Amino acid sequence: MKMMKWGAAAMALGLVHLAAPAQAAGGKTLDTVKARGMLNCTGHDGSYLGFAEVDDKGNWKGMDIDLCKAVATAVFGDPAKLKVVPISWAQRWPSLQSGDVDIIIKASGGTLSRNTELGLQFSMSYYLGTTKVMAHKELNLKSLKDANGGTICIPAGTSQEQQVAAYTQKIGIKLEPVVIEKTEELEQAYFSGRCDLYAQWGPVLAIARVAKGKVEDHVILPDVLAVEPEVMIVRQGDDNWLNIANWTLTALTFAEQEGINSKNVDEIKAKPTSPQVAKFLGVTPGMGKGLGLPDDWAYNVIKKVGNYGEIFDRDLGKDSPYKMDRELTNLWNNGGVLFPLVID
Amino acid sequence: MEMVALAPPAPGRLEDLRRRFFATPLQAILSLICLAIMVFLAWKLLNWAVFSAVFTTTGGPEACQAAAGACWSVIAARWRIILFGLYPYDEQWRSALACLTVVVMTVLSCIPAFWTGRRIAIVWGAGTTLFYVLMKGGMLGLPYVGEEAWGGLALTLFIFVTTCLIGFPLAICLALLRRSELPWISRTTGLIIDAVRSLPLISILFTFAIVLPFALPQWLIGDKLYRVIVGSALFFSAYQAEIVRGGMQGVPAGQEEAAMALGMSYRQRIGRILLPQAMRNALPATINQFVISFKETSLVVIVGFFEILASGNAAYGTGEWRFAYVEVYAFIAFIYFVFVFSLSRYGAFLERRMSVGER
Amino acid sequence: MVRLLRNQKVRNALLQAVFVGSLAALVIAGVLIARQNLARQGITSGFDFLFKSTGWDVSFSLLPATANDPYWWYFLIGVINTLFLGSVGLILATIVGTVVGLARTSSNELAQLMGRTYVDIFRNIPLILQVFFWYALIRHLPTPRAAHDLWGVLLTSRGIYIPAPNVGGAAMLAAAMAVIAAIALVLWLGRTSRLGRPVGERLGVQLAGGAAALACAAAILAAGRLPDLPLLDFPSLQGLNLRGGFRIPPEFSALAIAIAIYGGSYIAEIVRGGFKSVGKGQMEAALSLGLSPWRVFTLVRLPLALRAMLPILANQYVWLMKATTMGIAVGFTDFFMIVALTINHSGQTLEAIGILMAGFLAINLSLAAIFNRINKAIALKGNQLRG
Repeated sequence: MKMMKWGAAAMALGLVHLAAPAQAAGGKTLDTVKARGMLNCTGHDGSYLGFAEVDDKGNWKGMDIDLCKAVATAVFGDPAKLKVVPISWAQRWPSLQSGDVDIIIKASGGTLSRNTELGLQFSMSYYLGTTKVMAHKELNLKSLKDANGGTICIPAGTSQEQQVAAYTQKIGIKLEPVVIEKTEELEQAYFSGRCDLYAQWGPVLAIARVAKGKVEDHVILPDVLAVEPEVMIVRQGDDNWLNIANWTLTALTFAEQEGINSKNVDEIKAKPTSPQVAKFLGVTPGMGKGLGLPDDWAYNVIKKVGNYGEIFDRDLGKDSPYKMDRELTNLWNNGGVLFPLVID
Repeated sequence: MEMVALAPPAPGRLEDLRRRFFATPLQAILSLICLAIMVFLAWKLLNWAVFSAVFTTTGGPEACQAAAGACWSVIAARWRIILFGLYPYDEQWRSALACLTVVVMTVLSCIPAFWTGRRIAIVWGAGTTLFYVLMKGGMLGLPYVGEEAWGGLALTLFIFVTTCLIGFPLAICLALLRRSELPWISRTTGLIIDAVRSLPLISILFTFAIVLPFALPQWLIGDKLYRVIVGSALFFSAYQAEIVRGGMQGVPAGQEEAAMALGMSYRQRIGRILLPQAMRNALPATINQFVISFKETSLVVIVGFFEILASGNAAYGTGEWRFAYVEVYAFIAFIYFVFVFSLSRYGAFLERRMSVGER
Repeated sequence: MVRLLRNQKVRNALLQAVFVGSLAALVIAGVLIARQNLARQGITSGFDFLFKSTGWDVSFSLLPATANDPYWWYFLIGVINTLFLGSVGLILATIVGTVVGLARTSSNELAQLMGRTYVDIFRNIPLILQVFFWYALIRHLPTPRAAHDLWGVLLTSRGIYIPAPNVGGAAMLAAAMAVIAAIALVLWLGRTSRLGRPVGERLGVQLAGGAAALACAAAILAAGRLPDLPLLDFPSLQGLNLRGGFRIPPEFSALAIAIAIYGGSYIAEIVRGGFKSVGKGQMEAALSLGLSPWRVFTLVRLPLALRAMLPILANQYVWLMKATTMGIAVGFTDFFMIVALTINHSGQTLEAIGILMAGFLAINLSLAAIFNRINKAIALKGNQLRG
């Protein structure tokens, strides 16, 4: 009886394989998402402070989560239509490739091998971070070169692993790596003195130092191991879905550039300051059609999630516990590297 | 416990005490060493966990961090995260009720009156349905809560219960197939069972969570949670199948031959003669297996679920409670301990009772 | 009648063919779908990546490793680390289990109580939590600059440092072999029938044989000494870290301790069961033959208990070997962690998981095979089973 079922299942599988050769996954992500009624976006298995963390009431918050919300709002006009799937670092790529998530927004950089070997595609950068190293103050290190023979904590399965290996080889020192996957365990290892050094993506390092409480006990060394532009990541072969990611980002930065935020967006929509803004907020048509979205999608994003500056302030900047400066993560006209594409 | 044995030595019991613990010099030394170790450890533990510990949230994290002992205020402040994970705050009573359902279900199935195939099936079927409805909602006026928001203890229990629910019948099927007289069927099944048993559970979970979607057609992929449950059920059933088979071997061959001679069909022979006795033989080992698989649910944290261990991570993973991870882990260990210890005590009790019955 | 028989046979053959065939079809269908999925997403598949350099470092390796080494070398390192951790864990767990098991069967009630408390606590908490616990504990040892010094052994948050002999690697290996040979020789001398003397009077011969082999080991060590260095290399503080000596990293010790303690609580129960299974009559008979209590234990109680334990113990060992996969939780680069990292860096999910499964199947099936051999060799032969 049982084996009959198995046989039937096998045959069904075979038939599916023969009958439907080029189905969903790579093709029509937007249709899949719309049909599901939810955007599946990446979360974290625990907390990644500032980017994906869980508050007292069990709600997700953070920069990456807000960007997920922005994409969900662009598609559905409602940030609640977001399903945050908790995944670990090591599962990012398989989860996207297998369709468990529709988009990865998880402090992940664009690299050659991810692009050409994993079959992934990147949006514009939403955060330009540098990989840096923090050290215990009492070691009196001036730069990483002084740390020869020391122990360094590195997050497992991230590009930092390769960056540390490459950088130490370049400056000719040898470090003993301690590679742990869960951020909480990794930071405990550093703060408890298991490691002399802690290599991490810059903002996370700064947040960890603030969150630990005693900022002055730890120094962030001047060495820049690598520059990593963090990007939204989608599967290859679905141009429309990549366009949506890119234009969502542009909507956030464009709104900040034009001074449109969640509070004044209704006023400005009633009285657009320029033809571009009118188009941007969906007063005049053209913003959504080519993307397969409604014309007022950008208005929804700004109204319900906020512009880039608001997101940054809320999650990392002055309204957050971490009080980070914008530095490079600012608009081009404020000394940063962010810029919107042109809305014409 | 040793205190009880030692503390008020009534006059007549002194001699008894001497005989029990200090009969020979060697015994006396051994006793003293044991006593010293136990008192030392007990004192250290009590001192940390009770005497120098902070229990209230009034002082906030700073006062707590300064204390020499444990800082239980992190539990007071964040217990809801640990127990319920990402579940919507206002709906967490449902999660609590669902956990209670599982407890009631487990207690019911420990009562011998429920030990018939049908009753057990009804209890577990009804219990799991109730659990599912409570957690997921979307009917009976309960708001919908998707699986990705389940977390904490409720998720751990859900994975455990569904693993058993799928794994148990599967185990019986596998055991029967392995016992089959057709050599190819029994050999192939044996191969599958042995292969699964020699793989680490993590690798199976990883495969089901991450690799399987590649090898499945779109409509079969489903939610990651259910794939992981199927994987863990497969692992459970490979172990349980061997236990059931062991139980079957304990049933004298004559019984089946007699049943055959009476003209009973295969289904009757299995369902009425073989399985009831085999299950009874295998009961202690089965409970042990339940205990082990309950502990092993803790591994799903590695494939990125918000079960109790991960929600514990999130509980101490905020800025102000960073230092208090030992307390959070101790709390989680305590929760596991309560569940596992009572189950394994029950198993030991059952074993004793059954071995008495045999004599 | 003949026709019916033939029908039965045909039906059986058909049934089996369908069963095996459908399983095979399931697997093949899965593989085909996977290949198609991969191709559609432009993911490179195949085992070419094994020969590419990894670009990341491993934190623990018994073999030389740099970021320029290829993936296949890293897999090898992972397997060896897993085997190493597994064997250390198994040995420690067996020692702990035996001690606790003996305590539980001892006549001292306090020892019994202690044994029971131990088993109750450590059996009922998931291993992964225990790993976290031990790791946290070890990390809170003092820093290298303020290390506890116990006769040259340093306990620090960076690991446990023990003095190591300044001896070349090959000589170490040869010496270790000689020590094993010494043990084997002592055991063999105690059992063989080639020696004329009765079994009870061989202590001198055994000691002489063992001493000779140990002397051999010492000679090998002396010969393999590195020139111009003291015989023992004591760890000392240099720069950020301690140098010299042999270092056991915290990740390894945490896992080994956790496996030893958790596994020990299971093995204790097996040991207890084994000793309980030895009939009182057997021991009384041995005592009445005039054997001393020690010899009753070594010649009667232990061998009988061992035979009862071994099959269950074998299962437990396979299980413990699998428990090394917890390494990823604290960053010990075992086989599973190497695989997980490989998936992350190279994206070759299917291939890496395939290698993982094949590796564990090979390890555990050979472990099971070894235990089956031992089991068969020492099992009571048929005619002894009567009564």
